[in-house]
Amino acid sequence: MQKDMNAPLDHESEKASNSYLMSLLALLVGAPLPIINLIATLIFYVGNRRSTYFVRWHCTQALLSQLSVFFLNSYGFWWTLSIVFTDATLTNEYVAYVVTVGLFNVFEFVSTLYTAIEVRKGKHVRWWIIGDIADQLVKEVR
Amino acid sequence: MKSNSFWAIIILGGFVGLFFWLRTIDWVGMFNIEQHTRDTEEKLGDLFWEHIGDEGEQITDSLTVAVMDSMVHRLCDANAIPRERIKVHVFRADVVNAFAMPGGHLVVNSALIEDCKSPEQLCGVLAHEIGHIELRHVMSKLVREIGTSVLVNMTMGGGDGGQIGEVVGVLSSKAFDRDMEREADLKAVDYLTVAQIDPHPFADFLYLTGNGESEEAFEWLSTHPSSKERMEYVLEEIGKRQFEVKPLITASTWEKLKEKMGVSDTLSLN
Repeated sequence: MQKDMNAPLDHESEKASNSYLMSLLALLVGAPLPIINLIATLIFYVGNRRSTYFVRWHCTQALLSQLSVFFLNSYGFWWTLSIVFTDATLTNEYVAYVVTVGLFNVFEFVSTLYTAIEVRKGKHVRWWIIGDIADQLVKEVR
Repeated sequence: MKSNSFWAIIILGGFVGLFFWLRTIDWVGMFNIEQHTRDTEEKLGDLFWEHIGDEGEQITDSLTVAVMDSMVHRLCDANAIPRERIKVHVFRADVVNAFAMPGGHLVVNSALIEDCKSPEQLCGVLAHEIGHIELRHVMSKLVREIGTSVLVNMTMGGGDGGQIGEVVGVLSSKAFDRDMEREADLKAVDYLTVAQIDPHPFADFLYLTGNGESEEAFEWLSTHPSSKERMEYVLEEIGKRQFEVKPLITASTWEKLKEKMGVSDTLSLN
């Protein structure tokens, strides 16, 4: 991750930081349902789409970051349901997948928390790949 | 600065690599999952058995026990199935039925034994039900019909009598799916031929009892796929095999067993 960009105003930093916190709070509330944190960041994104460039950019990055783990978590979620409610059995592959996805979620959680703290300080934190996609999606209005 | 594709490959490679490394670990063995599954099955089996045991009259005279035991023993010994895994119970009931329960419990109604024309036919039905037990069809069917969470809850004492009765009803009256029935039929042929028991009477039983008899009385057949179709693929399977046949029990013992099925040891006035 790299930091650049001029320091934004305090209320901008707060809003931008909140976009990351939304996903963390939603994760704590609806942990077993992978869609909850995605919906939370989406709502925050929609609510701030007319905000400043800094806020919009970070809302977009927060949304994209959730989207990346959403697919991994969803697959694990449905796999778990199939074990609980159908005759699918618990296999070594399932445990390996859950552990791998779990570790990716921990990594994502720590990264999101770090980003939320840094953005609150007014620093512009870019995620690899996702930051570039956010650049393409969010255009600065001059 | 590295390009995005570089980081994409690193992240994707990291995920895939971690997953493939983790899947080499025997998690199922490490957490003793097989044993836990078996324990759950045993608990469920005992729970259902307690329910059934309270409901009907079990036939436990020495002749019935000895004959059933000798048949199951022969099937198990020849096919390397631990004998203690299969627990046979004979019940006095008018419905021609036999069904397997979790934990290796196998229930046979007296009407089914009465309806069999030979001990080989009865042995064929036993082999079919043992097939369901050994192929783990029983738990698959229960999980599909009832759901794992309800079953686990039951083993923890969460199920009431009505719920347990409902599950037992599913086991005794609802069919396995077509593929499972076929698999159990073919497994039965395998068990019978390896145990040197003539499998032809089993095919006859499937066909004869499925034709010209009241369907209501033949629950075992009415819940299974078409008798003709089953007889055909069972005969086809028999045709592929070479086997020797040794007698099961004497004709007189068989007749005595059938007589036992028709006589109630308890007086019922209702």
